[in-house]
Amino acid sequence: MSAKLTNKDLWKVFLHQLTIRGANNYERQQNAGFTEAMMPVIEKYYDDPEEKREAYARHMEYFLTNDITSAIPVGVAAAMEERYATEGDIDPDSINAVKTALMGPLAGLGDSLLNGTARPILAGLAISFINSGLGWFGPLFFVIGMAIVSLGVRYLGVFQGYKQGVKFVQTIQSSGLISKISDLAAIAAFTIVGGFIPALVVINIPLEYTSGDTVLNIQEILDGLMPGVLGLIYTGVMYWLISKKKISAVKLILVTMIVGIIGAYCGILG
Amino acid sequence: MSLFMQAFLVAVFVTIAFIDSHTTQIHIFRPVVVGPVVGLIMGDVQTGFAVGVTVKLMFLAVIFVGTAVPPNPTISTAIATGIAILAGGGTDIAVATALPVSFIGQVAETVQNSVINVFFMHRVEKAAEKLNTRGIVLNNLVLPMAVNAILYGVPTFLAIYFGAAYVQGIIDAIPDKIITGLSVGGSMIGAVGFALLLNSIKAKKFWPFCLLGFFMASYLGINMVGIAVFAVVCVAMFYYFKIADEKA
Repeated sequence: MSAKLTNKDLWKVFLHQLTIRGANNYERQQNAGFTEAMMPVIEKYYDDPEEKREAYARHMEYFLTNDITSAIPVGVAAAMEERYATEGDIDPDSINAVKTALMGPLAGLGDSLLNGTARPILAGLAISFINSGLGWFGPLFFVIGMAIVSLGVRYLGVFQGYKQGVKFVQTIQSSGLISKISDLAAIAAFTIVGGFIPALVVINIPLEYTSGDTVLNIQEILDGLMPGVLGLIYTGVMYWLISKKKISAVKLILVTMIVGIIGAYCGILG
Repeated sequence: MSLFMQAFLVAVFVTIAFIDSHTTQIHIFRPVVVGPVVGLIMGDVQTGFAVGVTVKLMFLAVIFVGTAVPPNPTISTAIATGIAILAGGGTDIAVATALPVSFIGQVAETVQNSVINVFFMHRVEKAAEKLNTRGIVLNNLVLPMAVNAILYGVPTFLAIYFGAAYVQGIIDAIPDKIITGLSVGGSMIGAVGFALLLNSIKAKKFWPFCLLGFFMASYLGINMVGIAVFAVVCVAMFYYFKIADEKA
């Protein structure tokens, strides 16, 4: 098997990429959508049921970035799956590692450029059209503008991400770097996960301890020592429970929600 | 058009808008579109435009970042527009309705992400294990989108059909502490996902980089793009100081 992905295959990937947020969930975010986006690629390249199963399992891992810019890692992952299936000379673990490395920059880029810039500008223009009596032209302008942004970025993401991904894989292959790519990608993945924890795992303890005139606010003390430390500890505990105690993620999610509700009810968390 | 029919059509539109916001994202789910469309259905386009613009300005600054679920503008605009038109126009009542309803939308979305879609995601995983591609599409797309009709379409129908008093009753019935608790739990739950991701990294010996990233974000307040830049620098340093040396 050595055929490249055709334009038709990439259009299929584009269509399935639209469902990236379908079963968006707090346990692993866009993982089910990513798996659906990779479906045309996996179905094309793998015949052996065991290999297919492994490929699907690969993409069921945690994935979170901006919905629209996620088309770029989808394109890159398609190129890497193609390489792995046809040449077999890259480490399959590096596929996820590269995806993880792309999550951060694309989330920042997507959220700030699309949600923070394109949308407010188009909406602002639409409102000024409505206010100057142009009526339906306002909403129509907004929807057409956003459709071009949303679908255009996804198209470029899948097609260019694939094209650049193929080149990227070839470059690292010819430079003999391929055996080290897992190491390099692991470094990027670790750095990014660590850097995301303060923003995405937020735990606050709004307890105050009053003694005479001084009020001790626990969260302020913790923030003074190390901001976000509770999120880091909680992530560490979850990691220990999953890797060492083999407790399923579903149970941990339920426990976390219950802890949140009880904690908020007693005023310990907030 | 009867009130029943109007409420039904608004509910259908809200469902479609949510499906758009979860898939194609051509943004028919934003207030500036929802207001006029609901106005058209309810027979008062001008109020629709007015409410759409007002609610849009209320939400203009709200940006969806990471896993945080903001108050929901779609269901809030639809119900606010419907109730404002039924009350004879005027954006005052719309604004008074929009804000509390947007919090109900937020709760619904939090439940969807933390419970309902976790359930569907595990069904996708099972389907993938069985190599059942139709099962993947069914559980990642078809069923979660159908849930939108129940989660957002049905409440919209009831709110417009039964009116403002009914909406207020529901808003009062949800205890504040449950709403806070759900968002507290929701903001912690990312830890489980990150733990799974850390578990999947093979070269565990590089764990100190996890702490490096954490301290950069925690002490220095570097944002996600900045963290990504540092990740690239770390990779480059490892490459030039270790791998390139070995080859030389």
